[in-house]
Amino acid sequence: MLISNSRKRWFFIFTAVNRLQGVISQVQTDGHLTILKVQVKDQILSSILIDSPVTNPILKIGAPIAAIFKETEVIIGRGDVSNISLRNKIKGRVDQIESGQLLARLSIQTNIGVINSVITAQAVKNLNISVGDEVWAMIKTNEVMVSQ
Amino acid sequence: MIRIEITKLLKGAQGPFTLSAQMDVNEGGITVLTGPSGAGKTSVLRMISGLMRPDAGIIMVGDDTWFHSGQKINRPPQKRAIGYVFQEYALFPNMTVRQNLKFALQKSQQPSIIDEVIEIMGLVRLQDEKPMNLSGGQKQRVALSRAIVQMPKVLLLDEPLSALDRAMRIQLQDYLHEIQRSYQMSVILVTHDISEIFKLANHVVSIQNGVIVNAGTPQEVFSDHNLAGKFQFTGEVVKLETQDFLMIITVLIGSQTIRVIGDQSEHRELKIGDHVLVASKAFNPIIRKLS
Repeated sequence: MLISNSRKRWFFIFTAVNRLQGVISQVQTDGHLTILKVQVKDQILSSILIDSPVTNPILKIGAPIAAIFKETEVIIGRGDVSNISLRNKIKGRVDQIESGQLLARLSIQTNIGVINSVITAQAVKNLNISVGDEVWAMIKTNEVMVSQ
Repeated sequence: MIRIEITKLLKGAQGPFTLSAQMDVNEGGITVLTGPSGAGKTSVLRMISGLMRPDAGIIMVGDDTWFHSGQKINRPPQKRAIGYVFQEYALFPNMTVRQNLKFALQKSQQPSIIDEVIEIMGLVRLQDEKPMNLSGGQKQRVALSRAIVQMPKVLLLDEPLSALDRAMRIQLQDYLHEIQRSYQMSVILVTHDISEIFKLANHVVSIQNGVIVNAGTPQEVFSDHNLAGKFQFTGEVVKLETQDFLMIITVLIGSQTIRVIGDQSEHRELKIGDHVLVASKAFNPIIRKLS
């Protein structure tokens, strides 16, 4: 979020969204589209952008970059998730569950940091998820934004 | 090209400071000067208009030199082709709208311009009214029209819309856009309103303590251009609602509101009136043709 309280200064605060700091490890461009691979510790995340290294010079191998995605875009899986098309699958352990009437918020401890996910409360029940369980946090490539 | 290179020692609230501004303004566009109060924005306008004399520098509009300290050129305000509109309306109270415009007309000008401006600015039905019978927005429309009648090369606008309510402001922004396009004037506008800047400005110059700290397109100056999100808007938070661990954030963008789901922890960061960037991946929005 871009916030200016005093009208004097502009600065960015990304509140609450998942933000994982990494380095660009691969840039694959075709026409107007680019798929970026972002190395975050031992994990690789992929993001697709309507951009190319020409239109956006920050897209180069080795450049530090943050992968950003909303909690509501994080899909939760249990057990075998190898046959799912999603590119971004991160294994972790449920640290905290906050349940509302319709939605639930899961906080997942992973190797690359804490990932928050908002899914339906019913899904938490159906998957029988409780604190301490091992789960996969998964994000579609087109839901991952990047920022310097 | 309008070339402005000026320095001037100014008295600020926190003591004297030197205004030192260098900028090239493209003719026929809208350039916004923005920055905190007391930064020197109004002084820049006053020096362009000739109401204030720079200590040193050059002001050139095309090939016309309006001020040149080295060559000792300093044209008086009436010899500079400018229109100047302030936040206050400054209309003649005893004259009708039409008479106010007529008063601004120079001898060499065709009177038909008055009808044209009255038409463009939507003043046809108000032309025989006196200022006391007009709303704030209408008065400011007249003040703008009066400045335009003289066909200035440079139209200087010092927060002309800031005293108006939002609906009126949006309407006047549309008028301003229209006249700038019709007459290809160079407009230099002082404003704090971010949505106004995004709507109107071709170029933004941000001034702090008499120094230009940033310049470029609104997107370059105010957006996180390092964020690769193609669906981005800036707006103002108008409502924050909590539900469970979620926030529903209502943001006014232009004249439309949108609602975004956020995390409750955003409640601590955000408050009503904050300017925010709303960004999403360009893959999410759907587009439907409006018939």
